[in-house]
Amino acid sequence: MVKFLSEEWIEIGKKYMIEKLDPVKDLKSITTSLLGVVEHIPPDDSTMNFYLELEGGKLKDFIVNTGYTFEEKEAAYEIKGNYGTYKSVLKGEMSLGIAVLKNRLKVKGSKMAALKLIKPLDGVIVSLQEITDEFEE
Amino acid sequence: MTSDNVLVMEKTSFKDAVTIAKKGTHCGMCRFDFLGSGVCPAGRKHGFLAYWPQGRMEIVKQLDSGRVKPTEKLKDIVNSCNLCGICDKQCNFITQLRPEKVAGALKEYVDSLDESEIQHVPEDDILHGLREIVGDDWATNDPIIISAYTMTILPPDNKLNYYVVMPENTEQISKIVKFANKNNVPYLPRSGGTAFSAAAPTVLVKGLSLEQGIIIDLYRLRNLEIHPDSQTATIGAGITMFELQKEALNHKLRALAAEAGAHVCSNILTTGIISTWGNKYGAFADNFIDLTTVDDEGNIKKHSDWERNNPYSTEPGFTNLSLTPSVIVTEAVVKLHPVFDDEEAVLVPFDNIRDAFRLLIKLGKRDVGLSLAVLSRKYLAEFLSPTIQISKDFDYVCKNYLKLNYVVAVICDQNDKKIVEDMVNCTIDQSLMKSLILGAPRFSKLRDSEFLKILSEEEDPLKAIFAGPMRKHLEKALDPSPEQVSKVFDEDLQDFFKKVYSKPEMTDIVWLHAFRILPTRMMRQQMFMGPGGAMWTGDEDHYLNWIQMFADMGDKLDVEHSLGFISPLDHGKFAYMEYDYYYDHNDPEERNKISKITVDSMEQSLVMGKVLTILNYLYKGIYRKEHVLYPIAKGISEEEQELFKELLGTVLGEEI
Repeated sequence: MVKFLSEEWIEIGKKYMIEKLDPVKDLKSITTSLLGVVEHIPPDDSTMNFYLELEGGKLKDFIVNTGYTFEEKEAAYEIKGNYGTYKSVLKGEMSLGIAVLKNRLKVKGSKMAALKLIKPLDGVIVSLQEITDEFEE
Repeated sequence: MTSDNVLVMEKTSFKDAVTIAKKGTHCGMCRFDFLGSGVCPAGRKHGFLAYWPQGRMEIVKQLDSGRVKPTEKLKDIVNSCNLCGICDKQCNFITQLRPEKVAGALKEYVDSLDESEIQHVPEDDILHGLREIVGDDWATNDPIIISAYTMTILPPDNKLNYYVVMPENTEQISKIVKFANKNNVPYLPRSGGTAFSAAAPTVLVKGLSLEQGIIIDLYRLRNLEIHPDSQTATIGAGITMFELQKEALNHKLRALAAEAGAHVCSNILTTGIISTWGNKYGAFADNFIDLTTVDDEGNIKKHSDWERNNPYSTEPGFTNLSLTPSVIVTEAVVKLHPVFDDEEAVLVPFDNIRDAFRLLIKLGKRDVGLSLAVLSRKYLAEFLSPTIQISKDFDYVCKNYLKLNYVVAVICDQNDKKIVEDMVNCTIDQSLMKSLILGAPRFSKLRDSEFLKILSEEEDPLKAIFAGPMRKHLEKALDPSPEQVSKVFDEDLQDFFKKVYSKPEMTDIVWLHAFRILPTRMMRQQMFMGPGGAMWTGDEDHYLNWIQMFADMGDKLDVEHSLGFISPLDHGKFAYMEYDYYYDHNDPEERNKISKITVDSMEQSLVMGKVLTILNYLYKGIYRKEHVLYPIAKGISEEEQELFKELLGTVLGEEI
């Protein structure tokens, strides 16, 4: 169990997804990339992002960075939201779908296309829920 | 005589108070002066919902269920009420309930409490931060005050882990949003709460309500200025439609009217104001000249800022759903429209929906009339009848004897009136409508009378009663008068209601159409959910099949149901339709049925195509109607249907 957005969180998350998630059954063989921007991170109100790339349902890349953009990679989708929203999603208090529909997570690009990703991404979220138990307060 | 549902005891027990309170539906009619009887002084002074009659009713329910314990604020709430009885007059007119009895029982309950039973509520940093923005009196985390917002913006079962804040201007709202973001606390604005109250007990609760965080109650934004020269009004987010309409009428102007208790700014944002006046006055962004908004970063913007990106467009497609507003509308400059001296109401009765729909669309396409709608028999009965029982009898008489199932209601000038009259066999004019309002008790008693039996044997009962010699017999039988109609109310309120019904506006169909105080009677003592949407009118069969689909779902699940209204839009090219399901909002089983109907009907509507369901245009009222309604939706594919189910499954979880 590790802290959200830490290097350790990335490493264990990668390992967990590769070992526990079935590319076909859980991740629907999707090929996509996603930039998640996390704003208002306590205690200093900072911003971080994480880049997640899947190819044929297999995890290709999972990186965390500071700021709003990840310059080396261009993601197909970008979702942006408060630290508190990500925390609620990772604690299982709010689903990814409802966070998008409630505008807590804002999608850049086609909402329709992004919503198609929700079910496969639910698998990733479950993985991250399993490994994350520490948040900034 | 007494009305249908009255407790005629001097003192009301707490148990009986709970029974009354459970029938409250948060219609919000106690928060503005629609009868000229004044408005709750405690509510006006303190603002928070808990100090209003509807809030006290909810608190009684919450105390009874054990969800909340007494606090110091409860004493304050109770002491703020002097049992003046204004709420009884207002609520009894609409719902036949007596909130003053509930307030009295709550006072006695509090008086009987031991000090040790009063819960201390600790303050925290979030509360302190909010108070720094709005002042000590206008932010609280008191669970009693918060519990009053249940069944409107709060789900019925969540922990009361909330704050309520009442800002008085846009700048304060901006600061609150920035503060909430910085502290990672969710927030949701609340205006009149009427949209929330329809959704909160049902399937949409998870999506539309606030799960924790800050309720931003917008009631204190009470700016209201009429600009006669430009025929516009500047209104703050705390102004109701009734209040705007009243001020506008003083200048012989009229606003696009929706529910009397709906707050105008919120109504614009939520649905673009769905109204029977929409064909003439417009919809969505047609309604306003300018908006002041606070976005989710706390930035204050105006639509009129010429350098900003286009604020009028939105992504098309059935998955573009938004369950919370993208901005908070804090102030609007809305369009007003002239009131003409020769306006009149004409109602055209029909026994079948097809003929009614055909006339409506014909009038809509020709731009005849200011307000146009098909109203169902049920609607008419609810509006005109002072009590529930009378509305049921009224409905029975219309259905079984008169074959009066629908009316096309037209508000128009004399030229358009002539056009309508030339197109149909018979009409119900203003004079007869007045008789039906003041004679509703007698009308309902005509059921099983010889008069109606003879009438029902006529080849065309509608023509016989409304355009034939039997009309004068009907008017005589109704014996319409304020005295007569007031007798159905509780004895102690009869004098008051006699005066109310003696006011010209209370029998003026044009006024009633513009001020919309009667539709709230649909919410008397039970809730209704009105799914529907806007459908292209080019295919009559398609439209009527759509309505039938809603009726079939109601029959299948054995829920009381009825068409609400149909009203044209965009010169008759589209027409709104609301189909209503009535249910006991306190019964989980009933709520589940309504939830199922809401989701299934939405899915079927999308499959049928050419329709924009109400969920599809929820919170899109600030955009141009052309961007919301067009392109005309095609029926969704099987793959998309699956996606829709998945989407709602994600949102609703195990509720369905």
